[in-house]
Amino acid sequence: MKINYLKPIIGIFVLLFVISCKVEPQPIEYGKDQCSFCKMNIVDKTHAAQYVTNKGKQFKFDSIECMINDLSNKNEGDMAMLLVANYGKPGEMIAAKTATYLISKKIKSPMGANLSAFSSKSKAEEFKQQYGGENYTWITLKQKLSDK
Amino acid sequence: MRFKIFFFLFFSILTSTAKQIEVCNSCNIKTITEAIKISVAGDTILVKKGVYKEQNIIIDKSISLIGEKGAIIDGENEGGILIFETDNFTIKGIKIINVGLSYTIDYAAIRVVKAENFIIEDCILEGVFFGILIEKSKRGIIRNNKISSDRKNEASSGNGIHIWSGSEMEIYNNELFGLRDGLYFEFVKKSKIYKNVSHDNIRYGLHFMFSNHNIYHHNEFRNNGAGVAVMFSKFITMYNNTFKLNWGSASYGLLLKEIYDAEIYNNLFEENTIGINGEGCTRINYTNNTFLRNGWAVKIAGACYANIFEKNDFMHNSLDLAYNSKVNDNKFENNYWSEYTGYDLNNDGIGDIPYRPVKLFSYIVNKTPEALVLLRSLFVDIINFSEKVSPVFTPDNLMDKNPIMKRIND
Repeated sequence: MKINYLKPIIGIFVLLFVISCKVEPQPIEYGKDQCSFCKMNIVDKTHAAQYVTNKGKQFKFDSIECMINDLSNKNEGDMAMLLVANYGKPGEMIAAKTATYLISKKIKSPMGANLSAFSSKSKAEEFKQQYGGENYTWITLKQKLSDK
Repeated sequence: MRFKIFFFLFFSILTSTAKQIEVCNSCNIKTITEAIKISVAGDTILVKKGVYKEQNIIIDKSISLIGEKGAIIDGENEGGILIFETDNFTIKGIKIINVGLSYTIDYAAIRVVKAENFIIEDCILEGVFFGILIEKSKRGIIRNNKISSDRKNEASSGNGIHIWSGSEMEIYNNELFGLRDGLYFEFVKKSKIYKNVSHDNIRYGLHFMFSNHNIYHHNEFRNNGAGVAVMFSKFITMYNNTFKLNWGSASYGLLLKEIYDAEIYNNLFEENTIGINGEGCTRINYTNNTFLRNGWAVKIAGACYANIFEKNDFMHNSLDLAYNSKVNDNKFENNYWSEYTGYDLNNDGIGDIPYRPVKLFSYIVNKTPEALVLLRSLFVDIINFSEKVSPVFTPDNLMDKNPIMKRIND
């Protein structure tokens, strides 16, 4: 009889131990998760972003501009992972630092910066040809957004 | 009598110049596209009962498109359906189903581009991606429509009525559900939204972004991700709305972010996780609202200045107010608090001792949300009592000096 009570408790502890210490991105639950910066529900698979701190804490954002605004008050060195949604492949997350960015008035993003990310430079170039705008790297993008 | 003759002549001239084109499966004209091709400005196209499988119908003439009962346009999930690129048009009584889905193109059942003076009424839009998408338009009326979608699990659904850049729009008596945002206003000015019901949407019932000088009243927002979000907007008036059952960890009745000079009065906030969540909102007057059985009635984060809470009813909320700053620049005056345990010896209807709406426990929850499991425990009662007796954490001017003893909206 005693064992029956113990089992779920042990289970919970094992579960807590396993899930609490991983420095890995948790998938974004679209429609349920909330942007850490602007408090909006995250629904847009083409513009979401997230980072994970070295301690494994998850931060999710509805747009790339929200993540950059949030990072401006924080130390980027504390982050184990920075991810942005790949505009070319909705739902896929790619590394923020190696992505190529496009700011184009034709592609609207949730918080008004008209900013999207692409996995490769050629892909971003392709969308730039089609929609117009300007390409950025992670470094130049942060400069551009902090200038405002 | 003269007038009557004049009107008779006037209308007979009008009807003789403008013709009516009928569309049906057994008529000469079998598709709507064809009817539009042969029509001229001022004509009426009457769509008879039947299913029309058409997409991307571009309408660039000022016509009236009227549907008979049972007239259905089926987009077969392939793309957008009606695209109006003209002024002075009317669309009435058409049912549109199965709009295509895309991550990169905003397909809509009815799309309006650069138009003025138009009416969209009595339409039923089902299984839409975007319902009504309006770009750069003025003076439109959207009324009595029913817009819905069933892409519940897929967050890649569109908005019900989405207005991007517009002014003087009037939107009333619509029902919107199962969408991303029921109504979305982006760069919209001087518009009115009233008597709409927006429920069961994934994100917001109503969403303002960079939109100034708008009014919404007598709407109901029920069971959405969050009832209404007002962001980066100025001079918004909100009254007589109902915000209810917006439950969930990221749910609010009303989410305010970076807004200035708003009026919020006569609203009902019932059973929301957070009634009003304010961040960066300044010069807002909250008057005569009822907060009933919410988790938090009001949650104020940083940078909220010169807000006035006057004559509101705070009824049976788990926590009346959460506050995360040490300074208080907001005024609480003459509110009714169901938690108030003071007395009124001189019988003037105003409590003799001030009420402090922030409890110590709400500070603890702000710091560690998991502590919420302790709510309603004896421990929490004790720490709340200790804070009541000698306040340490609450900014000392954060209190209602004259709480009233009776409900206002009884």
